[in-house]
Amino acid sequence: MEASDNIILEVKDLKQYFPIHTGFLQRAVGYVRAVDGVSFFIRENEVLGLVGESGCGKTTTGRAILRLYDPTAGEIWYRKGNGERVEISHISQKEMKPLRREMRMIFQDPFSSLNPRLTVKDIIGEPLAIHGVARGKEMEDRVAELMRAVGLDPAYMRRYPHEFSGGQRQRIGLARTLSLSPRLIIADEPVSALDVSIQAQVLNLLQELQERLGLTLLFIAHDLSVVEHVSNRIAVMYVGKIVEMAETEEVLRHPLHPYTEALISAVPPADPDIRLHRIVLEGEVASPVHPPTGCIFHPRCRYAENVCGEEEPQLVEAEPDHYVSCHFAAELSLLGIGG
Amino acid sequence: MNQTDLIEPAASAVLEEKELHESYFQLVWQRFKKSKPAIIGGLMLLMLVILAFFSDFFSPTDPVKLDMPASFTPPQRVHFVDSEGKFHLRPFTYLQVVELDPTTYAPQWTEDQSQRYHLRFFVKSWEYKLLGIIPSRWHLYGVEEGGTVYLLGTDKFGRDLWGRACRAGRISLTLSLFATFISVAVGSVLGVVSGYYGGGIDNVLQRFVEFVQSFPQLPLWMALAAIIPRTWDSFRVFVIMAIIFALLGWTVLAREVRGKVMAFRETDFILAAKEMGASDARIIFRHLYPNSLSHIIVVLTLTIPDIILAEAFLSFLGIGIQAPLTSWGLLMHDAQNLQTLGSHPWIMSPVIFIIIAVLGFNFLGDGLRDAADPYAIV
Repeated sequence: MEASDNIILEVKDLKQYFPIHTGFLQRAVGYVRAVDGVSFFIRENEVLGLVGESGCGKTTTGRAILRLYDPTAGEIWYRKGNGERVEISHISQKEMKPLRREMRMIFQDPFSSLNPRLTVKDIIGEPLAIHGVARGKEMEDRVAELMRAVGLDPAYMRRYPHEFSGGQRQRIGLARTLSLSPRLIIADEPVSALDVSIQAQVLNLLQELQERLGLTLLFIAHDLSVVEHVSNRIAVMYVGKIVEMAETEEVLRHPLHPYTEALISAVPPADPDIRLHRIVLEGEVASPVHPPTGCIFHPRCRYAENVCGEEEPQLVEAEPDHYVSCHFAAELSLLGIGG
Repeated sequence: MNQTDLIEPAASAVLEEKELHESYFQLVWQRFKKSKPAIIGGLMLLMLVILAFFSDFFSPTDPVKLDMPASFTPPQRVHFVDSEGKFHLRPFTYLQVVELDPTTYAPQWTEDQSQRYHLRFFVKSWEYKLLGIIPSRWHLYGVEEGGTVYLLGTDKFGRDLWGRACRAGRISLTLSLFATFISVAVGSVLGVVSGYYGGGIDNVLQRFVEFVQSFPQLPLWMALAAIIPRTWDSFRVFVIMAIIFALLGWTVLAREVRGKVMAFRETDFILAAKEMGASDARIIFRHLYPNSLSHIIVVLTLTIPDIILAEAFLSFLGIGIQAPLTSWGLLMHDAQNLQTLGSHPWIMSPVIFIIIAVLGFNFLGDGLRDAADPYAIV
């Protein structure tokens, strides 16, 4: 992949396996390959959408990057504010702590991600306290400023999370994420737990803040229509692997992977008169415990041939800035949006 | 406020005026108030605590001074109507006189109705120190010179059982509270550590809990109590007794807190704290502990009655609290002898105090269980 200067995060062949324990002695009898060789990069000030169906390893990827898990293998290169590139996949939590000021996360569930026993001020101010940035009056001012930035009234500072609605809670979470002026935010399905009407509000707020503060976003979602709204580029994930990555328009109009094609065909068009060419995938999602040989998608792929079951395709740059892992990427002509 | 996400200026202005956020304890109190049993339980305990702390004020005679002639006086009746059927506005007692039955030599108590002794309220009598500091001679009630009033009768040494039972509450209640705090402190810390770290630490701690739980409690208590040297002063005995009771009480709490913490460990707000770079200590004390607190409070109120009962039992057997300290169990020590109990059943009366205490704590715990978690995640 390209090694240009404006790449803020580069993930190389990241693997995150979870052992399955059974029996009295808790022996590991197998592994869930939640993330199995994921590679991608994000450029500065860019929004990369990471899409895939539930259980494909999107969230695990995000958490492994932030070292909430200890990755099994692979490399995670992060470029700090001063331009220095660091590899963080196996550093200690102590070494990770200063980096946590720059790399933050937005959580999916606005209900369980806020400690019910803390006031909004303490929740938003907690990162400031942990990193010794501000305390007392100074912290209160900073919290008020953050609350205004996300569209909350600072007068509510002394309230508890249970006094807020889902959308407001997600704004509190957003303020907490922004409190240390991060450079990279991993947004883990930030709107999927919200009502559709509120989804749009939070998405617009996120987009506005991203542009104003020059943030870089890894936007994780299972809903292509949400991702297409905010992302510059899209990476499509299937059972622990990235199958396609390119500019948003490019992915939607001109997909190169059969799975992406199926995903796009499932997006409902705005005009109900448009006739859908909906591709219904056969069979079940492959198990991350016993993944199929060869291409992980081949048991469900309608274009699959013998080679697909034998040889695993690599993620290659099939066209400029368009990465895909399919043996027949060059031969197939797949349908994009509105096609 | 459920789905109103937009902060409308008008609405927020109204809210700002009265700033209706409530502190944790206000919320708990609001819910607690609604539970009738909890209020009743609380009042029962409050009554016992007041009786215990001001026991000298409530007892008309010195509960420590021996008065052998009055030994095993049965509870005296307070009369309003005298032997001639005349009603008196002021209650009075008759003198209790003892005669030996000519055939069995058993003492027979009768009322000498020739002389009335009126009850008086807020009288000056024997001297004591209020709360151990302020010297005072005031008492809630007493009788005229020459008479006696033993509402619950007297013990072997002629001491007023009512006064002694009130005083015994001091030891019984403080000992059980003290023992409960030790067991809660140990149990909750080990429970949080076990649940939070999991893995090997959890395995070792839980096997240890099982080891402690597998002891037969009673023989162990008896053995431990038996090795306390008789020469120790009463305060040291008190502390050691509390530790002995705590020793076996912490395991239940450790188990329950562990379960609670394990459930919390997987929640997003703990993950969020890790993501911010919070230390383990911060996660435990700022996030896990406060969220388990409601549970701990409830277990606390349910552990106290267990320890009251255990203390009463050991003291009843004579291996718990030793004189000159008194506890409810120790007061009934004499009731061990069936003959004594048969002829003086009133020496069992401290049982009423134990029942009230145990019921009070159970009612209170029930109410707290519902009230203590006003922020439960919906």
